[in-house]
Amino acid sequence: MPATLKTDAIVLRSIRYGEADRVLHLYTPAHGRLSAIAKGSRRAHSRFGGRLEPFFRLTTILHEGRSELRTVTSAATLAGHPRLREHAGSLDAAARACDAVGRLFETEDPHPGVYHLLANELALLDDDPAGATLSNQLAFRLKLLLAAGLAPALDACASCGEQADLVAFSPAAGGIVCGACEAASFALDPAAYSFMVGALGASLAAAPAAPMRALRQVERAITELAEHHAQVRLRAAGSVLSAPG
Amino acid sequence: MSTNAPPIQRLISELAKLPGIGTRTAQRLAFHILRADDVDANGLADAIREVKERIGLCEECFNLADGPRCRICLDERRDTAILCVVEEPGDVIPIERTHEFPGRYHVLGGALSPIDGIDPDDLKITELYERVAHSEVKEVVLATNPTTTGEATALHIADGLRERSPAVTVTRLASGLPVGADLEYADEVTLSRALAGRRPA
Repeated sequence: MPATLKTDAIVLRSIRYGEADRVLHLYTPAHGRLSAIAKGSRRAHSRFGGRLEPFFRLTTILHEGRSELRTVTSAATLAGHPRLREHAGSLDAAARACDAVGRLFETEDPHPGVYHLLANELALLDDDPAGATLSNQLAFRLKLLLAAGLAPALDACASCGEQADLVAFSPAAGGIVCGACEAASFALDPAAYSFMVGALGASLAAAPAAPMRALRQVERAITELAEHHAQVRLRAAGSVLSAPG
Repeated sequence: MSTNAPPIQRLISELAKLPGIGTRTAQRLAFHILRADDVDANGLADAIREVKERIGLCEECFNLADGPRCRICLDERRDTAILCVVEEPGDVIPIERTHEFPGRYHVLGGALSPIDGIDPDDLKITELYERVAHSEVKEVVLATNPTTTGEATALHIADGLRERSPAVTVTRLASGLPVGADLEYADEVTLSRALAGRRPA
């Protein structure tokens, strides 16, 4: 039976469809990831204006008909993030954040924490586009893993429980491992370990800094953890857009 | 199993590959072609064959061309000091319809979207830098779409041009309200850009 759903949502993705429509991937606090069609939204005189572009946070009304796709019937802006859109680096970081949410949380299961985390990340990038650093992106991904129940085990060896000599990271074991259990793992610098602990314990805005080598190890840990336990391949963090040379 | 003869079924299958055409529409089009006289049906087949054989990319601007260079690049009346950068060949048409742009074009072949695997190397961006560096271009107008990917592309190219050709002026199409639109329906980003870009009345 047709019904309407009123919900806040962040536009993760906007795909051109047909003559003048868009198919949207939306992330909502209570209904997870939804897909919806916005008819006529690419026309210059569309009543939606530009608010169905990625990164807009909206209050939407979605019509649920017989089709699998809901139809957007109304959209009001909660946050448009205009400053974020003026810098290639922050645009790219926002796109990667939305992509990671869409990949890790692709069902309609509710994860209000993920919605608020993404809203915070977009607000942060909008407040300070220069904050679109690799450490910010990795801190965001670590918190996403935590929300997905995949946070890396960092307090003891993920294989044997040993609390000393933690020298490597094992995606299969789901965290750091000691020297005796380091088969099928890769070396982890103390700075990378400190970064993961710090990023998980601090707010996004206070993500710690770390040397590039450590950040690359953290990225590898996050990517392989998601691949091993959620069968999800995350796009590389960082940006190819902010470095035109 | 289909009740249609194999040639008809093949035509339906081919038509159904076109964007926006489902099986039912493809079947309707196929029967229309079957009913059409030979001249019309062969005309359609010849037009498809000809466009595939003769149309390629202009070696200078990467617009569609039926020779090495497109008609705009061959037109010596066009102003060579101003270059308009667009995403797709189809974007040249609405700009030409305004009769306001005297210069030439550069077609990128898409917009940057690392999430979809479209990086700077997949577009004609290096060719743009080369073209600007080795010509008399004084202004580059970035006319990519005002979408997220279009904006990212424009920002990336603007940075690249400022670094490589600092003497060249880089401009972006203005953002604002469409003629005939209601303020009530304008989104906040567009409206704030329209306010920031206001001009003396």
